[in-house]
Amino acid sequence: MSCVHAFDLSAHPPRPEEDLRSFLREQTAGGDRLLVFFAEEPSPGRILLHAVSGGSGPGRCVHACAEASPRSFRTFTDVCPGTHWFEREIYDMFGIVPEGHPESNPLRFHEGWPKGFFPLRGAGPASEQRRGYRFLRIRGEGIHEVAVGPVHAGIIEPGHFRFSCAGETIQNLEIRLGYQHKGTESLLRGKPGMRQVLLSESISGDTAVGHSNACARLLERIAGTPAGFWAETCRSAALEIERIANHCGDLGGLSTDIGYLFGAAHFARLRGTALNLLMRLSGSRFGRGLNRVGGIGPRVPGIDPGALSAELRALLAEIEKAGEILLDAPSVVSRMEGTGRLLPHTAETLQVVGVAGRASGRDIDARRDFAPPRFAERPPKVVVAAEGDVLARARVRYEEMRSSCAWLSAALASPGAPDETSPSRPGPPSAPGGRALFVSIEEGWRGEIVHAAIVEAGGDIARYKVVDPSFRNWPGLAFAVRRNVISDFPLCNKSFNLSYSGADL
Amino acid sequence: MFESVIGRKRTGCVTAPLPFGDLPAPFRGAPAIGPEFSGGAAAEICARVCETRAIDPVSRTVDLGRCIFCGLCEEACRGKGIRFSSDPHLPCGTKEHLILGATPPPLPKADRTLASLLGGSLHLREVSAGGCNGCDLEVQATGNPVFDLQRFGIDFVASPRHADGLLVTGPVTRNMREALIKTYEAVAEPRLVIAIGACAISGGIFRGSYAVEDGVGEVIPVDLYIPGCPPHPSTILYGILDFFGRYPGRKPSRGGSLHGAGGEEESA
Repeated sequence: MSCVHAFDLSAHPPRPEEDLRSFLREQTAGGDRLLVFFAEEPSPGRILLHAVSGGSGPGRCVHACAEASPRSFRTFTDVCPGTHWFEREIYDMFGIVPEGHPESNPLRFHEGWPKGFFPLRGAGPASEQRRGYRFLRIRGEGIHEVAVGPVHAGIIEPGHFRFSCAGETIQNLEIRLGYQHKGTESLLRGKPGMRQVLLSESISGDTAVGHSNACARLLERIAGTPAGFWAETCRSAALEIERIANHCGDLGGLSTDIGYLFGAAHFARLRGTALNLLMRLSGSRFGRGLNRVGGIGPRVPGIDPGALSAELRALLAEIEKAGEILLDAPSVVSRMEGTGRLLPHTAETLQVVGVAGRASGRDIDARRDFAPPRFAERPPKVVVAAEGDVLARARVRYEEMRSSCAWLSAALASPGAPDETSPSRPGPPSAPGGRALFVSIEEGWRGEIVHAAIVEAGGDIARYKVVDPSFRNWPGLAFAVRRNVISDFPLCNKSFNLSYSGADL
Repeated sequence: MFESVIGRKRTGCVTAPLPFGDLPAPFRGAPAIGPEFSGGAAAEICARVCETRAIDPVSRTVDLGRCIFCGLCEEACRGKGIRFSSDPHLPCGTKEHLILGATPPPLPKADRTLASLLGGSLHLREVSAGGCNGCDLEVQATGNPVFDLQRFGIDFVASPRHADGLLVTGPVTRNMREALIKTYEAVAEPRLVIAIGACAISGGIFRGSYAVEDGVGEVIPVDLYIPGCPPHPSTILYGILDFFGRYPGRKPSRGGSLHGAGGEEESA
């Protein structure tokens, strides 16, 4: 299985910082993408930096680890701009300064937190006091600022947007997050078990299946109890239904934001139909309770693959009817075309993933590149567009729903047999000899999800790192809205539809 | 344009009538507790697997304010102690009303002033205060064509100044504490506060984290708690309408016994 990788840390001692720099430079030049970059403190005052990248070849996933000073390291953004937010996160959580980093503002901690508080740092002395937040000031005649949030007008998560505009045109957007920070990664440490799976369902509620699939497979690799074929069929089915539900929701949301009520009403309803399928599969409209360590919950085997296939076909027919009307309507196309363009070059430099990446020409999809169990037999069609505008992101979503349905119908034709054993009690974890790093990758509906865990020789998780695709894509949104009129911001924002909770953890 | 008119006609009316029926299995709705839980070994077995400490094996109660409806307890006791019905009518009210197995105090209703002022037309401002967005999505879904909360004179507004109350999701992160208080203060009195979902009631799965306040009630006064993780849109609508005495028909299961308590036999 190439969607979960294990690296023996005791066999490969950490290298000097400069080696990590050349590793990142070579990986980026060789067509690999950065999957995760994070720090850990294996013993008080000792800091290790881990980078995992891959994707240029089937299942390719490589790891490098460097020893860093407990006070600072030289930023890697010059050789690999994709480390940008990861380095800010390392500062926030560990208090280690990325020297020369282009942006020094904290990502997660606001005023009011103790200045020396770094939650993942042990008792030893941390580097320095946390800096205050300073917004970028754009100067010039007629430039004015618009501040939005954290409490937004709609029923959505909190975040702060600071626009600097000349007239109606956005010159710069600064996105300040952290409002949703819940300390998830610190809660994920400890003995591996159902606690992590349940927490992973709450990393981003709309991606409960994507995250819990990644988490369950990671824990199964640690415990040495892989899920059966049938369980993996159910996981993939849930993953694709989650994708369809959210893509429907997004097409509905885009319709709302341009005042196209037909699309808004129909796609809101179709999203509900898809969520109800997910409920029939898992007992929850968001696929919660589906995953257990070693398989799936015992309520699931009642699902009939034939009936599910038939319902999917009916749903797809409705999606196609509404989707064609939506994407053929001249009033819709004229609002979306050319709006919020993220250029392919920018998307690649920032390493934007998922729908937003594919709509800007990035041909990446973890279902093909890292082939989770059922996807290895026959990867789905990867939908890529070059334009990078709101319309491209809408079209990629629409085509992905069709591709998902086609893939899932084929997968449900050979679902495997439900096994009788309840998997909810996994055996004790099989210690991999010494310290080991486990990495699990899944293509959630928004994009690539990466879970990484460092497991001690005793079997406990010492560090659990989560990467939600939103974390990779927020900087992309800031670029996409430049030179657009501010009244188009809601439309641009919806076309990315990023999770605040997933980014803030 | 004609296509969209035809499409609309073909779809017809999809709005669900009240009272809501049971949802299709295997939906995990109102749990029922059985004699094995009240008197046998099941309480201990269930408590051992519960990651949010919703189950108290000493008092033999289940706190729906902490329950995330993962179903692990039902699996551990093989349905003998706790079994989830597919009834979306969960007990709502104060925190005490969410505890199954204890004798509940009388169900709270909106006091007469609040009911007469807000009961007919209720405008709410939603504040997501650190949730995972699951509850927000279900609150949003109450406005879709199936649940259509506007038919009851309830709506969500963009400004707290236009609102009669707040609907809060999430455990209240330390980073959202101040924004929540300011939003609350911006709502004119009399004001209603509804906390939705396990996180907003007790901190849920995030309870005890350094970054959260373990529930809305720790920060501002709450009038109505609606449990779930996330609550189904029909649970949310039921909770709000019943608070104002406007929900027809069914009453929630009080978790007395596994037989007949959850209304499992009723059809949708």
